Amino acid sequence: MIAAALLVPFIVGLALLFLRKRVSGRTAASLGAAAMAASLVLFALVWDGRDEIGGEIDESWIEPLGARLHVGVTVVSWPFLLMTAFIALLCCVWLIAEDTAPALVGLVLIISASALGVFASLDLLLFFVFFELALIPMWFVIAWWGDPHDPVGRRVAATRFLLFTVTGSALLLVGIVLVASRTGSLSIFQTESASLVAAVLIVLGFAVKTPLVPLHTWLPDAHSKAPTVGSVLLAAVFLKLGTYGLIMLGALMLPREFVDVAPYVAGAGVVGIVWSALACYAQDDLKRMIAYSSIGHMGFVALAISTMTDIGLAAAVFGSIAHGLVTGLLFFLSGSLKDRFGTASMRAIGRGLYARTPWLAVAFVFAAVASLGLPGLAGFWGELLSLRAAYEVGVLDQPYAWTALGLAVLGVALTTAYFLRAIRLLAQGEPVSHEGDRDLAVREAVVGGALALAIVVLGLAPGLIVGLYDVPATLNGQSGTTYDGTYGPVER
Amino acid sequence: MPLLYPLVLSAALFGIGLYGVLARRNAVMMLLGVELMLNAVNLNLVAFDAWFADQLHTGQVLTLFTITIAAAEIGLGLAIVLALFRAVRTVDVDEVGASS
Amino acid sequence: MRRTWSYVVLTAALSVAVAVWAVPHLEGDASTRVWVEGSSLLGVSLATHVDALAAQVLLLAVGVGLLVQIYSTAYLGHHARYRSYALVIILFLFGMIAVVAADDLFVLLIGWEVMGLCSYLLIGHEWQTAAARSGAAKAFLMTRVADLGLLVGILVIGQTYGTYRISEVITQEPDNATAIGLLLLVAVVGKSAQFPLHTWLPDAMPGPTPITALIHAATMVAAGVYLVARLMPIFEASELVMTLLAIIAAVTMLLGALFALAQTDLKRALAWSTVSQLAFMFAALSTGDADAGTDHLLSHGAFKALLFLGCGCLMHAVGSSALSAMGGLRLRMPVTFWTMSIGFAALAGVVPTVGFFTKDSVLHALDHGRHEGPLPEGIAVMLLGVALLTSFVTAAYATRLWLLAFLAPATTDRAGLSTGSRSEHRAMTGPLLALAVASFALSIGQPFHLGMGVLSTLVAAAGVGAVLMVWRRGHSLDLDAPWLTSELGLDRPYASWIPSTTRSSARAVVDVDRDGIDAYSHGSVRVAELASRVLALVQTGNVQRYATVIAAGVVVITAAAVIWT
Repeated sequence: MIAAALLVPFIVGLALLFLRKRVSGRTAASLGAAAMAASLVLFALVWDGRDEIGGEIDESWIEPLGARLHVGVTVVSWPFLLMTAFIALLCCVWLIAEDTAPALVGLVLIISASALGVFASLDLLLFFVFFELALIPMWFVIAWWGDPHDPVGRRVAATRFLLFTVTGSALLLVGIVLVASRTGSLSIFQTESASLVAAVLIVLGFAVKTPLVPLHTWLPDAHSKAPTVGSVLLAAVFLKLGTYGLIMLGALMLPREFVDVAPYVAGAGVVGIVWSALACYAQDDLKRMIAYSSIGHMGFVALAISTMTDIGLAAAVFGSIAHGLVTGLLFFLSGSLKDRFGTASMRAIGRGLYARTPWLAVAFVFAAVASLGLPGLAGFWGELLSLRAAYEVGVLDQPYAWTALGLAVLGVALTTAYFLRAIRLLAQGEPVSHEGDRDLAVREAVVGGALALAIVVLGLAPGLIVGLYDVPATLNGQSGTTYDGTYGPVER
Repeated sequence: MPLLYPLVLSAALFGIGLYGVLARRNAVMMLLGVELMLNAVNLNLVAFDAWFADQLHTGQVLTLFTITIAAAEIGLGLAIVLALFRAVRTVDVDEVGASS
Repeated sequence: MRRTWSYVVLTAALSVAVAVWAVPHLEGDASTRVWVEGSSLLGVSLATHVDALAAQVLLLAVGVGLLVQIYSTAYLGHHARYRSYALVIILFLFGMIAVVAADDLFVLLIGWEVMGLCSYLLIGHEWQTAAARSGAAKAFLMTRVADLGLLVGILVIGQTYGTYRISEVITQEPDNATAIGLLLLVAVVGKSAQFPLHTWLPDAMPGPTPITALIHAATMVAAGVYLVARLMPIFEASELVMTLLAIIAAVTMLLGALFALAQTDLKRALAWSTVSQLAFMFAALSTGDADAGTDHLLSHGAFKALLFLGCGCLMHAVGSSALSAMGGLRLRMPVTFWTMSIGFAALAGVVPTVGFFTKDSVLHALDHGRHEGPLPEGIAVMLLGVALLTSFVTAAYATRLWLLAFLAPATTDRAGLSTGSRSEHRAMTGPLLALAVASFALSIGQPFHLGMGVLSTLVAAAGVGAVLMVWRRGHSLDLDAPWLTSELGLDRPYASWIPSTTRSSARAVVDVDRDGIDAYSHGSVRVAELASRVLALVQTGNVQRYATVIAAGVVVITAAAVIWT
């Protein structure tokens, strides 16, 4: 079942690439949506309880290296898998339009399938292969279908993205090799300790992807020049490869080494929160602003991971999922704006969208409010749990963790400020009508509505995800518990 | 006869041939240099064959083989040089490189 | 018209449902109920706790909410965006219900912030105007930054007590009370617009007047008072927190009253009056007397909503909230005049309005607080003195506003404004009458303290008398005090210092991000270029030179092999 869930989007994606001259864009996108829907349903069904590996496949692959075709759904990866398939499905729905290039749909499917492969892999080499596989199609998506008004800029952005992430991947590969040579196993469930160098390399590799400050400079360019689905996939799926890697290959796989790296991860995370919030405050380009806001949200996730507590794990997973949904929605809507006005510059789009395109404006305000972490919406719980993890300190020093907490709280305040600024510049104000003023089309409304629904559901019922990481413990009995195999398959 | 004599002779031959290839600009002279180096190798092969008293005489067989190859090579090489001369009216490798 | 009333029906249904839920608890039997049990790691469950206080506040919220919805059909029913307006009010009521009825602190937090969002959306309802935009953003930002105190405070409570359920927290022995109290105090001060986070409330006045009555007078700003009352055992346990609360209350009540006295704009004056009255409630709370504070909350909710709705009628009639545009409206708007007179009387604390009784209770609590309770005696005496002074000023500004709005001669010609009922829509006067009745009806059963009652009546009478005397002599009632009309410049940090600091540091961050942090990527490009240029020197394109290098290499390798083996 899990093989089918991975292969269907791959095969459909490749087929669309080869038959790109034969099918229309609308058919291609519908096919893609169907493939992703099938994958989503299969991944939902493959779940086998939090103590089991769902749909596990373990075949020999490259014998001499000890690499195996080992895939399965764990308690950590399941939410990521569902979110990725969901976002990819919505991307395909978004592309159901006349002017869609069938090859773009094919690339979107291959990228999504590769990301699904990363989340499903239980073998380090397989993980790395999928991790790399997602990169190259993304270069094409950005460089070929990116900002139509800036052909040079989009190539530069695409190449920067590729170079940064490939450099990160190289570090990751060396780290994986070090782990394998030390422990003799390529399984993701390592039982022995590897070296600190390996942990540092792996964390650095994922820090580029996540991204943590100061390795983030590729991100605003790539996000702002990518086409709408590219931005959505970058934010909702690609950054999650980084956070998932930090959780799974960092904190869970190498807990003894990660303890020494954790303070740096936490520091980079909270500095990123404040730094990116300030950067957002001075942005004019909406997509750049959302890109910077992603860095801040990933900072919360990094802070949560670095505490290495159960609540931190729940916070990291919840924060990642919530960010995928909320920022996905924000990028879809800014894509709508860019389609209409040919630019994402807030000044150029002009004020008073409440009057000019009411539903689009309301959806944007909803997404902004969700992103600034209003309680009752998905964005809040990730931040809250992360702050709680920092308050409970975990493996960090108490003064350090509480300083981080203070900075993170400051970041929340600044986040509110820049989103209010964006709402003020776009939604409110004396409306000046523009020829591009069109309200949401059906496909945009469907995508936005689905994401908004998911955001509200997760906001009102955070237990859906947090409950996966429940441990039978009272609230204040768990401060400082480290990853000791109390959940899921890590015990193996 | 000690092995040293033919080896010194062959090293000298090889050195002269190498010098010819590296220093001369005339394509014909360079081909001659290559021939000298091949012959140095041949001399080595024969000398070691005699020294080891090889029952199968692989050294001598290989020498015959090399001579054949060298003949083919020099024939082909001179033909190319001739074609080159017809095309660009020179056999100086620097000028050919600059003109192409 | 039917369209607008459908939202009233929705609100009415909500109100009835809440009333059915709340009324049985008015007599004091509290009930705690867990609707949805949360996961153990999260520790958040959907739990409610309704006792007498909660029931009263719930009824106040839905009652004022319903009246405001009815009022709005006439006030804003013609507005193109009436639908979103009415829906946000309903969402707001849900938020308020969540705050009041919540037993789980996170449910409370959700309601608390949803109220903040609704307040933001409603203040910014007229988003074409710059004043509404900036007022809305300021209100949301200041309250939300303060709310972070509540958020962290909740985390500390969870760690200290091992639960997020209020009913379980307040029954335990107080622990860590100073830290928790200080954190919660930040949120309370922000939400209830107390010094030094008080400047957002007057700037929120560009919002439609009905929602000012609902959100910025009766309910949301009072949520801070409710929170302190609800968590009184924690607050009470820390003398530091209570002293701080008392000082904040004292400063705020006097400042608010003085600013209200100097205002030339009726609505803004009422806003300052709200700030001052909320401080009254906090003063009572700081003595540990939760009942006096919450009683004043309820009575203030009724009469201040009345005043704001009346102010809305006046604005509707004259098209401005400036006092200079009003005057002489007594005969033209009789219902508004009489109901607002009752409201002003209650504000000034005139017998037998509810304002008198609850203010009496507050003053009694302060008097009582000199001898027992968490406050040091000096602070309590100071607080009582400031409260009496504030009562005087309150009576004075209430009289002044009343005179200027209704009895002063009209300064502008109002040919277009007809007399009597035509300028007073029935959907607008109905709620006024209901609230006027409530201003008396709530007096029933209020405690009465003879000595303090006489004293406060004397103080109020002095305030009223002083203004009347000035007015009789024909003097202008406008105070010539620039330091009061500029509100002491207390808004300057929020209006200019913090925004400009943020803006300049944001610009600096963007520059550093582009030129500083990115240096390593640009630097690596330069290193690669340099290296390639050096290595390109070797690539001459001359085959013979390559062969020379190869030959030399062979010689070197051979020599090395011979030497080292």
